[in-house]
Amino acid sequence: MPTFTETAKATKKKKDIKLVGVDMYIITDKGIPKFDDIGPFKCEFISNRGTKVWPGFVSPDLLQVNWYRCRFMATKDVQDADVNTFLDALSKKGWWWSAAQKLWNYDGEAGFSKAY
Amino acid sequence: MGKQHVVTMLPGEGTGPEICEAVRLVIDASGVDIQWEYEDIGLDCLEKYGTLLPDKTIQNIAKNKVALKGPTTTPIGTGHKSANVTLRKVFDLYANVRPAKLIPVLKRPWDKIDIINFRENTEDCYAAIEHMVSDEVAQCLKVITWPGSYRIADFAFKWAKANGRKKIYCVHKANIMKMTDGLFLDAFREVAKKYPDIESGDIIVDNCCMQLVRNPAQFDCLVLPNLYGDILTDLCAGLVGGLGFAPGANVGDGCAIFEAVHGSAPKYAGMKKVNPSAVLVSGIMMLRWLGEEAAAARIEKAMFAVLDERKHVTYDVGGTAKTDEYAQAIVDKMHAKA
Repeated sequence: MPTFTETAKATKKKKDIKLVGVDMYIITDKGIPKFDDIGPFKCEFISNRGTKVWPGFVSPDLLQVNWYRCRFMATKDVQDADVNTFLDALSKKGWWWSAAQKLWNYDGEAGFSKAY
Repeated sequence: MGKQHVVTMLPGEGTGPEICEAVRLVIDASGVDIQWEYEDIGLDCLEKYGTLLPDKTIQNIAKNKVALKGPTTTPIGTGHKSANVTLRKVFDLYANVRPAKLIPVLKRPWDKIDIINFRENTEDCYAAIEHMVSDEVAQCLKVITWPGSYRIADFAFKWAKANGRKKIYCVHKANIMKMTDGLFLDAFREVAKKYPDIESGDIIVDNCCMQLVRNPAQFDCLVLPNLYGDILTDLCAGLVGGLGFAPGANVGDGCAIFEAVHGSAPKYAGMKKVNPSAVLVSGIMMLRWLGEEAAAARIEKAMFAVLDERKHVTYDVGGTAKTDEYAQAIVDKMHAKA
């Protein structure tokens, strides 16, 4: 049995990391949320259990739970501080959220999946 | 002839169209009255519609509520959404029913395998929630919900009851994933209380894999979350003869789509070489779904007879017959028995 004296170390660093939006996980029993633009953030789509429920066709048979992923994309260049302001504004509007995930582009490529 | 059924036919791409024509030949000869409406799906749609699943196809399936689908291929890493996953999402086809039953003439090292897998089809790691949370770290959310888990378990027990099945096991990894798989298992146990006549239990997924290859006859019905279901249903297909004979159905409350689970084998496209049996047995499942038991049984009996004779079978089971010649042999066998 060989003994490995060195562990392989690899990195995959990206040069350009750009904040482009936020995925918000909203909890509500009032159905599909509706949002006006909040500062520089505009709601692009909403999914439930991974299936897009806004905009577009939604099967009347679709099972929905009270937890929505709401994707907000920035309409201009934004910084982390803009996200803090956005979260504060969203909470003040009465939205209850379980988590927020910043969306970044890495060297120009989206680091986040689309919804089905 | 009895009631006419209107069914959406989705030939897919690669070898899909020639397979579906062979299957249609057999089904139409079985005495059942089906009006087929053809729609596009798969890679060939990209150039024409810019999507793997055109709206026109979705609308037709929504109208007919039942479809028979040939194989399609999802391009890897191109950003195109899988047509199969999109269909499941759009129509909320939450139950993937995958029977694994020994076909008598295919020599396998087992005496008996007759398992029905019920794979939850819409949740788990397939919720398409993935992020690069740093430039070196990717994350995928595993989404398991109580309503989603409850309804697949209830579907499985209902199916089992209606088809005289005796035992259902829930497959999970709740010893490690206590929240997600734990929720799935809790919902299963809650549902099981409603069906005291059916034996129920649970088994950890890794042990289940080992038990399946050692002694598959011990299993009757399995209920699985999406990812384990994806893997174990192919394992079960391998036990009984491979994907070439593996049927599948994706079922929701308002719609059912029946399909083979193998790929589209584009290198064989147009050669009429491939075995259409997987789509054919999916078609047999569809006929039973439509209440056409007599036609389903007629096709099944003729197919087994043709396979048993081995005179008109495809290359994968040791023959030289073309796809359509195999189908015609099944038709001839049905007519000979009539």
